[in-house]
Amino acid sequence: MRLACLILAAGSLFAQSAADTEFFDKQVRPLLRANCNGCHSVNSLNGGLALDSLEALRKGGNRGPAATPGDNNSLILQAVRHEGALKMPLGKKLAPEQVAVLEQWIAKGLPVAQDFKAAKRRQTRHWAFQPVTRPAPPAAAHPWIKSPVDNFILAKLAEAKIQPSPEANRATLLRRVSLDLIGLPPTLEELAAFENDKSPNAYEKQVDRLLASPHYGERQARFWLDLARYADTDGYTIDAPRDIVQWRDWVINAYNANMPYDRFTIEQLAGDLLPNPTNDQLIATGFHRNTPSNFEGGIDFEQYRVEAVADRVATTGSVWMGLTLGCARCHDHKYDPISQREFYQIFAFFNNADEVDREADRKYFNKPFLEIGTPEQIAAHQKWDEDVVALEGKIRNYQEQLVGNADMDEGLKKLRGELNALRRRKPKIQRAMIVRDRATPRDHYIHLGGDFTRKGASVQPDTPSVMPALKTQNNPPNRLDFARWLMSKDNPLTARVTVNRIWQHYFGKGFVETENDFGVMGDKPTHPELLDWLSSEFMDSGWNLKHLHKTIVMSGVYRQDSANRPDAAAADPYNKLLARQNRLRLEAEAIRDSALVASNLLSRKIGGPSVFPPLPAGAGDVTQVKREWKVSPGEDKYRRGLYTYFQRSAAHPALITFDAPDATVACTRRVRSNTPLQALILLNDDAYFEFAQSLGKRILAEAPPTTEARIAHGWKLVTHRAPKPAETARLARFVDAQSDAQTEKNEEAVWTAAARVLLNLDEFMTRE
Amino acid sequence: MDLENKILRHTTRRHFFENCGFGLGKAALASLLAGNLPAATRGKHHASKIDSVIFLFMAGGPSQLELFDYKPQLVKWDAKPTPEEFIKGKRFAFMDTFNKETPKLLASRREFKQAGNSGMWFSDLVPHISTVADDIAMIHGVCTENFNHGPAKLFTNTGSVRTGRPSIGSWVTYGIGNESKDLPGFVVLQSGPRGPRGGAALWASGFLPTAYQGVPFRSGGDPILDLSSPKGVTPEAQRRTIEAIADLNKMELQATGDEEIATRISQYEMAYRMQTSGPELIDFGQESKETLDLYGAEPGKATYANNCLLARRLVERGVRFVQLYHTDWDHHDDITKPLERVTKEVDQPTAALIKDLKRRGLLDRTLVIWSGEFGRTPMGEVREKGKIGRNHHIDAFSLFMAGGGIKNGHVVGTTDEFGFSPTEEKIEVFDVQATILHLLGIDHKQLTYRFQGRDFRLTDVSGRLIPGLLS
Repeated sequence: MRLACLILAAGSLFAQSAADTEFFDKQVRPLLRANCNGCHSVNSLNGGLALDSLEALRKGGNRGPAATPGDNNSLILQAVRHEGALKMPLGKKLAPEQVAVLEQWIAKGLPVAQDFKAAKRRQTRHWAFQPVTRPAPPAAAHPWIKSPVDNFILAKLAEAKIQPSPEANRATLLRRVSLDLIGLPPTLEELAAFENDKSPNAYEKQVDRLLASPHYGERQARFWLDLARYADTDGYTIDAPRDIVQWRDWVINAYNANMPYDRFTIEQLAGDLLPNPTNDQLIATGFHRNTPSNFEGGIDFEQYRVEAVADRVATTGSVWMGLTLGCARCHDHKYDPISQREFYQIFAFFNNADEVDREADRKYFNKPFLEIGTPEQIAAHQKWDEDVVALEGKIRNYQEQLVGNADMDEGLKKLRGELNALRRRKPKIQRAMIVRDRATPRDHYIHLGGDFTRKGASVQPDTPSVMPALKTQNNPPNRLDFARWLMSKDNPLTARVTVNRIWQHYFGKGFVETENDFGVMGDKPTHPELLDWLSSEFMDSGWNLKHLHKTIVMSGVYRQDSANRPDAAAADPYNKLLARQNRLRLEAEAIRDSALVASNLLSRKIGGPSVFPPLPAGAGDVTQVKREWKVSPGEDKYRRGLYTYFQRSAAHPALITFDAPDATVACTRRVRSNTPLQALILLNDDAYFEFAQSLGKRILAEAPPTTEARIAHGWKLVTHRAPKPAETARLARFVDAQSDAQTEKNEEAVWTAAARVLLNLDEFMTRE
Repeated sequence: MDLENKILRHTTRRHFFENCGFGLGKAALASLLAGNLPAATRGKHHASKIDSVIFLFMAGGPSQLELFDYKPQLVKWDAKPTPEEFIKGKRFAFMDTFNKETPKLLASRREFKQAGNSGMWFSDLVPHISTVADDIAMIHGVCTENFNHGPAKLFTNTGSVRTGRPSIGSWVTYGIGNESKDLPGFVVLQSGPRGPRGGAALWASGFLPTAYQGVPFRSGGDPILDLSSPKGVTPEAQRRTIEAIADLNKMELQATGDEEIATRISQYEMAYRMQTSGPELIDFGQESKETLDLYGAEPGKATYANNCLLARRLVERGVRFVQLYHTDWDHHDDITKPLERVTKEVDQPTAALIKDLKRRGLLDRTLVIWSGEFGRTPMGEVREKGKIGRNHHIDAFSLFMAGGGIKNGHVVGTTDEFGFSPTEEKIEVFDVQATILHLLGIDHKQLTYRFQGRDFRLTDVSGRLIPGLLS
């Protein structure tokens, strides 16, 4: 683009003749090929430099342009003459006549052949960079098949001579699909309705009900918050509260409205650059404001701004591209076709965001914000903000003039009192952290060794050369162009990476087990054709997420029983071919939510400010600045885990202990650990004891008054199935022992104890 | 197959996974709290010199110039502008304070004396520590990467100034497991007026399984969150509950064949053992009055002295890595009274810990390390009239170690006449980390974990053993 203009401009100064072209072809090109291109070509970018096109060598490597028409001091000449520290070619020296050829070529204005003009695009045979195809489902006839997905699965199983597992029973199936789609177990009424529905599409009706549930948005949002490294506080040292819940609610609403994934992406990455953006489109850009931010005294704001931008590049790489872009921050990627220059070209798309980069702007920390309210409210808030700044300035001046002990000064005391009073009069207004570009673009350059204080060559925003080219009229291209490029249908990565991650939610791992690394060091897909089929289906449906979810959960492979299959395990020990479903421990939030459903305490309120469920004593004592944790009153005490206030430096132990991510970097897959600290929480935490009390009362209130009937009811409330006789007998023995141990008869205490056992069953915290 | 065999097979499978590389074993690896792992061999590369580490983290950046790094030249240069060659091109925190005028050097107001066979220097602020001069190795001229508290603390702990990497205690327990059967392998204790800047990120497991993250203990009340049974639940009732859960889970294990259930059963047993051993751990009633007085410990209080005693009790019980944070070392405004206060809190218990470990025969197999995230500048900093403090300094701070495998009673490294820079080879935080791992029998270059397509290690691409330190 810009380069094309430069070449034209150069052309006017240096007219190129046929003889010049011949000179290039006969003398220059062979010289470059023999001496330079081994290390400097689009596929071997040492020092970030390619010398295989005019565009590339004019652009240059990490040290800047290699050659400029007419410039006898061009970097390449300095290097071949061995004038400075940089001596090329490596380990030898060109003959004087060869150096003369290059000098002549530059003096002539760099004439080249037509095919040498435009930069070459990087080539790779790695599977993930090849276009997405639409393979035909393998032919197969089997009563087990419920969807084209199954044809692919069955074909692989047949190759390994393994039979799939039968469909799980209805209770297991409904519990599974409810937990998977909305993150909540079914109620007993919902279960009964499904079990009694004899229509052939009974299961599909349940799937449609769950997809239409407003809790679907909550469940899917939680996965997205993991990717966005969402938290309610800034992180680092001060870890102060931030204004970001508006964005969280935007995500929930977007999922519930089934916003197409391309729009969902574009609004989050570049909503501010859309024509006349709505408030919602601005709030959406909060996605990339979830980076931790440092407000500690004595920092260099530019350093942490750069950190945040680099994190945005890395996160974008993990979330949409399945690439470890962050590896190319300090040097060219060791394995994948991404150069350091390309890292900073992507960096440049995000680098113009208007954020604080110097100490003088400390008071604007975490800006920009969208202020949400009536025009009067917004005006009042702005006035208040200015008043605070003015009064703070006045106090500073007063202090500087002050002689003597500041603590004793009445005038200062009065001013400080005024400031406190003013702060208390803060007009109510909602704010949301958003992304907005600054008026003057920043200079973009390569950070040598990843160090922002060491400036390398200038760069302009652009996409990696190994991927399809970015097409735009904008010069330079902007973040919106980048977002649209990500979502263009010839992008081979976005659909595959997204489908793979969603598949992972349903089976515990994706087709590509390294869900955040589709590069050459990542795993190969277990079912490449199915991955492509689903990816093309996803794009062809108009990036319809609910359609994708439904396609997966309607399949026979999803609906299978999860019991271990020793016969299949012999040939496929890791169940990669999916001859059965996988048993998965529930996520931290789903464990809490399930306990709330069983104990009948759950508040189904959606969105709004984060809440403060009880926190074990002392859990918040590890932070530098002590934050108040006042337990939310009323139903807010019993909200879903998604809404628990997330303080980065002291996250709620019930979340972290069950592997909720710590909101530092994009989390593309949660670990499922199994530790004694988890047992201590479920056994002893006050919150869980309260759930047990409530579940105990519920059992007493709802079940017929026999031990067996009560056990049956309680068992069903937590596992959604009837207990087996041995299970009933064992729990009855426990109930009897509890009763015997009592000095006074107290049924509630006995059934609280029984409920504690139920809420600690492996089956309670597992999706079968 | 009986339960023990299932668990054994599970363990074997886990080892198999590890050998097969990335991706296969992540879930399985996560199955056990580090504290419950049979001593892993993943990170055992050579014979160890020590079994445990007690890291005394002085959060805020203690002034080496007021404590250990004696600089008589500063007295001559007191209040004189710093010669340009010492500060040219350097970045400091609070640049605005310095930009107004050339910063002035500041002599320490403390009195210094030599102690021990090597003639190690100590100021009058640390009289107790000076009595263990022959049991510690003093290291001067250590440098770090970042001059802000949060990032510098992260760097000391995780080898990165950004959040998201595993901390050293996590790496160690991931690498060589834990000797304690009923306590976690990586325990974090905290004292001082506030928590350390950075909070949980400082002992996070990063991309390693969460089972390896540090477990914060309290020295008062429940040492571990949710360690006490709920109110009204007797120990017998708790035992009955856990037995019932175990029996019912065994039935589920039989029905599904999912070995994760076997792990869960053993974790509940471990939780129960922790409930018994936890209160015993913090019961100082077993300690003699002489021992309590040695530390200056007062049972029931969340003090540094109590935490030092608790640290000894933890390593006595086989806990692998204990980290104590003591905050309030950030003396910008005033390097006199506030520093006196915090050194008074720290001096006696630190010396007591070393003496106590020694007389119990534990010091040979333990490494005690005393360090901040950085030190303080030779220049003074004036924030308020009439007071003077020091700014953050990352090029030459002092730390000391005591314990097995090192030359105790020696001084390693020297700094220039003002204490700006090391005069010998630079000792980096990566070197400190590499040395700690080495003493534990771990080669810091070999203890790696593949994440996002790359083999990560604590020391990134750096780190070497601190020259002249090892015995």
